[in-house]
Amino acid sequence: MRGAFRVVAPLFGPSSAVSSRLSPALAPFLPRNPPSPLRRLLSALPPMSDHSPAATPPSAAVSLLESSSFEKQFDDFRVQLEESGNVRERIRAVVMEVEAAVRVMHSSLLLVHHTAPNSEVLDKARAQIEVLKGVFHKLTDILRDSPGQYYRYHGDWRSETQTSVSLIAFLHWLETGNLLVHAEAEKKLGLDNSEFGLDIEDYLIGLCFMSNELPRYVVNQVTAGNYDCPRKVLMFLTDLHAAFRMLNLRNDFLRKKFDGMKYDLRRVEEVYYDVKIRGLGPGDSIPEQNTQA
Amino acid sequence: MLHVACGRRLLSFIMTTKTQHLHRIATIQGFGKKPRTLTTDDSPIRVEFAQHVDYLNHLNDKRERVVKASRDVTMNSKKVIFQVHRMSKENREETLAKAENDLAAVTNQYMSKLVKELHGTDFWKLRRSYTFAVQEYVEAATLFRFCKSGTLLNLAEINASLLPLTEESIEPLQINVLDYLLGLADLTGELMRLAIGRISDGEIEYAEKICQFVRDIYRELTLLVPIMDDNFEMKKKMETMLQSLVKIENACFSVHVRGSEYIPLLGSADPDYSFLGLADTE
Repeated sequence: MRGAFRVVAPLFGPSSAVSSRLSPALAPFLPRNPPSPLRRLLSALPPMSDHSPAATPPSAAVSLLESSSFEKQFDDFRVQLEESGNVRERIRAVVMEVEAAVRVMHSSLLLVHHTAPNSEVLDKARAQIEVLKGVFHKLTDILRDSPGQYYRYHGDWRSETQTSVSLIAFLHWLETGNLLVHAEAEKKLGLDNSEFGLDIEDYLIGLCFMSNELPRYVVNQVTAGNYDCPRKVLMFLTDLHAAFRMLNLRNDFLRKKFDGMKYDLRRVEEVYYDVKIRGLGPGDSIPEQNTQA
Repeated sequence: MLHVACGRRLLSFIMTTKTQHLHRIATIQGFGKKPRTLTTDDSPIRVEFAQHVDYLNHLNDKRERVVKASRDVTMNSKKVIFQVHRMSKENREETLAKAENDLAAVTNQYMSKLVKELHGTDFWKLRRSYTFAVQEYVEAATLFRFCKSGTLLNLAEINASLLPLTEESIEPLQINVLDYLLGLADLTGELMRLAIGRISDGEIEYAEKICQFVRDIYRELTLLVPIMDDNFEMKKKMETMLQSLVKIENACFSVHVRGSEYIPLLGSADPDYSFLGLADTE
């Protein structure tokens, strides 16, 4: 995510135009030479608006200059903020679509709780990934005009991203038994490491949300007769939890979610224990005749 | 402290030394408990997380440094503001000269540290960590400029003054519109104090100049606040700003009505009529 301050080029004329439109009082403050700091300065400068400075009643020449530059600054701010406001509105509209796609995928995935593993259910959920990819692509497109500002608007899509990660990671585990790594998750959502990527903290929080689904999954699978499930889930979740413990987390949302994972792990262990002592798992002894309720 | 089992695990850990070290730290943080695992230590999950450890450590360290630099900027900007408030009719020049030096020190010593840490996406990513400091800095710089020349220091001017702080190859820190406007809102509070102080000192015209200045700022900001990002804070500041403005206006009114006899009580918005009877002693 480089090139953070690439300027919105079409809005800016050559630097001489800039100096002449700013009040002369400001000219000495403009840097004289290199193009890149000047471009950076321009990115902070509000874009030159097309309307002329507001008419002010004639007074002393100096104060006229001052008051018009005073108002001009605010006029420029208004143009700038209206633009970023528009970007935000467009983003919010697309984020609602992301939410809808996420909900559909979540509801498809909920079916795995109802039966033993079944490829039809997974197919339906997998199909939603394409939809997700499409909406995230729309977000990328909107952001393309505002380079370097991913984190300015990040709050607007943060929780939807986290939920998306939890869903695709859960699906991936159901399909392969493995952890969906960050790079793959990024690819699945059609994102990449340039301007619009998958924030690592969002990815990690998404994994924590996925872990929250596992206790319920394991319970329902055992009820449906899938007795090998607890062992598989336990191995996976233990490993995941241990890996999370490698992280140096500070006291924030990610930390809270990680703390929740330990309770998920505990419940999965309990289910595993219940199944094991009753010899229900494959490879466990089958004392059907001997054990009575 | 480390269990022998942990020592063995370390030996079998085929990662880089750094990750081994981090693993040791993680184990110590677990108060010597062995991380529960049913798989080997070079499992793909561990491999994946090793990079995330680095990423988060790097990010958190940077955040720490930004917070520290921000604290310095905030404290020293406040000092500049206090210094400016010490200004009176007699010592105007010296006070302002000292304030100018202090402000330059804030820019060169403390803002420069912030500038170093914030470039690229970190500018927006870490904004919550430094925004308060930048607002304070804007407040100090604009207050000083107003006292010096009666004009508003533009965002462009502040950013121009920050450019020399960065080497050519690195993208320089530029204060964004939102932090500037938030700082401007705080400025009006200081201006209110300044105005009341000037009235006490008998500098009525100066106070009226401040009054007009704050009026202009307030008016311009009303158009911008609705379109600012996350404007909850700004909306609160606007309420405070209006109160400050009304205080200034009331003070100017009282002086205008009763002349320079009036010494207002700081913090009270109500005109004080207690001197009504004594107004003729001149």
